Amino acid sequence: MKGVCNKVLKVDLSQGTCTPEEVPDQVYEYFLGGAGLAAYYLWKESPVGTTAFDPANRLTFAAGPLNGAAQSGAGKWSAGAISPAFNLNSDSAATGSFGIALKQAGYDAVVTYGRADKPVYLVVDDGEAVLKDAGEMWGTDAYETEDAIHSGDGEDFEVVSIGQAGERLVRFANIQTRKKSFLGRCGLGAVMGSKNLKAIAVRGDNAYEVADPDKLKALNSEINKRLVEMDNEKPEWLQIKKVGTAMATELFAPQGNLPIKNYSLADWPEGVEAWHASQYHEKLEITPWPCKFCVIQCHNKTNFTEGPYAYQGKGPEYESFAMMGFNTMCKDVRAISYACELANLYSMDTISLGVIIAFAMEAYEKGIISKDDTYGLDLVWGNDDAVVELTKHIGLRSGGLGYLLGEGTKLAAEALGQGAEDFAVQMKGTEIAAHNWRAQYISALNYATGCASGPNHERGNSQHIWVGHITLPEWGLDHVENEERWEWKKAPDINAKFHDYCNIINSAGHCKFQEFRSYTLSDLTASLNAIMGLDWDTDDLRKCGERMTTLQKLLNVRYGWKWEDDFEWPKRFFEPVSEGPAAGKIPIGLGDAIQEYYAIRGWDNDGIPTEELLMRLGMEEYAAKL
Amino acid sequence: MNVQIMCKDHEFEPGTTFEKVAQLVRERVKDEPMIKTIKAKTGKDHIVFVLNGRIIREPEFTSTPLNEGDDIRWVHPYFGG
Repeated sequence: MKGVCNKVLKVDLSQGTCTPEEVPDQVYEYFLGGAGLAAYYLWKESPVGTTAFDPANRLTFAAGPLNGAAQSGAGKWSAGAISPAFNLNSDSAATGSFGIALKQAGYDAVVTYGRADKPVYLVVDDGEAVLKDAGEMWGTDAYETEDAIHSGDGEDFEVVSIGQAGERLVRFANIQTRKKSFLGRCGLGAVMGSKNLKAIAVRGDNAYEVADPDKLKALNSEINKRLVEMDNEKPEWLQIKKVGTAMATELFAPQGNLPIKNYSLADWPEGVEAWHASQYHEKLEITPWPCKFCVIQCHNKTNFTEGPYAYQGKGPEYESFAMMGFNTMCKDVRAISYACELANLYSMDTISLGVIIAFAMEAYEKGIISKDDTYGLDLVWGNDDAVVELTKHIGLRSGGLGYLLGEGTKLAAEALGQGAEDFAVQMKGTEIAAHNWRAQYISALNYATGCASGPNHERGNSQHIWVGHITLPEWGLDHVENEERWEWKKAPDINAKFHDYCNIINSAGHCKFQEFRSYTLSDLTASLNAIMGLDWDTDDLRKCGERMTTLQKLLNVRYGWKWEDDFEWPKRFFEPVSEGPAAGKIPIGLGDAIQEYYAIRGWDNDGIPTEELLMRLGMEEYAAKL
Repeated sequence: MNVQIMCKDHEFEPGTTFEKVAQLVRERVKDEPMIKTIKAKTGKDHIVFVLNGRIIREPEFTSTPLNEGDDIRWVHPYFGG
């Protein structure tokens, strides 16, 4: 297969061995790479009964066929494993250049398994792999680890690493790269920690062959030009290179989509003003921090040097400041950004962290916990300093509340009892991200049915057809009317297509922010054809997405998913809010929509892929190994 | 003459210019809350049009004839998130 290495590196941490393995072409035709390849290795090697911290769990870091193309967005790559948050298949994607460097090192993926008997890190240098002692790195934060590898092994290595939260098995621990991008969701950092694997470093000069370099070059040129011009056509406060994803405050507030006060409100004008993109830009003194080849430039760097929370580093994404700021009703942009950066250092997902801190605040308000439990912190809504301090306690797993909250909202609520489960905004053990179910019912359907990485906004993104006006016209998804956001009629079909689309993107090695800026499914299909030598149209692309979604569903069935799991929804979203655009709206009818989603997918009433579907997709052998 | 707007077939008389497409799209979304908001703020709807993979701007609309098989996309001002 062109455009890939046809090879992965198998790393047995228990035995301390690193072994290359050939990958058949059909695996790429079916699952492309990235998230698809990670799911494939779970299917191939992690049997029934495997759980997240089991050495048999495969934690796979995988590039996609687009990685390495000089095309905006072609730097995204993925990792996947059984999640410690919900013990099902999961994957998460990051940017930076790790995926590109992995292919240059000669591999499409690194598949890790087993557990090292002492902390180690993996170095892959132009095809040669070795495990090294990470004893001195253990206990340091994720950025210090990256610095240590750059200092000791070479500045030109691309590195992924975990901090203390990953080592100490916080169930929503993430994995960082380049101090700015994160495999954020699903707790993959804790899986890495459970294997005593502190970091991976890759570099190399391997030149994999592209099928049609001239065609690819022409596509890159046309696409990159269009994407640059698209952003320039917008008012400054909506230009992503100026303000990053902070532009979303302006976008989401009038739709009632923001998470406010542990999702008990859908309107907070003071907060919207405080977190407006213009304030974000001014207070954090941000500058762009682009990824390789990217013309969108959503990442940004803070540059403020004064005050108690001064730092120069990652400016928080929308999801981060929405969950850590809006959801806790905190308005100090600098303090909350600093708290987000602390989470990054310790390696914690800021979405889950924002939910669980808000959960703790509500428990404090209700008298379920007190200052005796909170290390003396006055955990009231809007206490920015308390958010910073509690972040430290969770990240370092301080004894008591900090440790408990590191278990995630579901387990913490069960442990606290006294009705705490009623305001635990989670599903299947995963905290709900910054899209309000009341603002568009399809968000609820996305979270309930997602099988790529549990309930995850980003691995469905169907809410974006309303909240971000994203369309997939090649698959029949065009402009929708505003009022349709509270109807179920089209939602199952839209949701299915978005699940498949996200699987394609995260497996191809592309960034959805390009699609958010006029990159089309036709662009993607043409690019994959030029790279891999395929002859696909956009229907073939859909079929590939269907295969991935089906494989993920089969994996979930293998690891214990039950029909009831899709029907246990956070109670909070069924409590209507009285103000704002989503006032009075709750997703009644969700159960029927889930069943219709199953039917549209070719799943039976119990949510299991039918034999007919498996035959149509040529996947009978995948079901046979359940 | 058949052109594709967001991958759907549309028939136009020969000699029709791009201006007609822009009018159709703008008429369709003029009452949308988000469009009203941005027009109130900036005086423009900021819809961006793409003709055969390239952005086409307002001054070119009346001088650009539609051609058989054109691939036309339009992007909402709040496209993103």
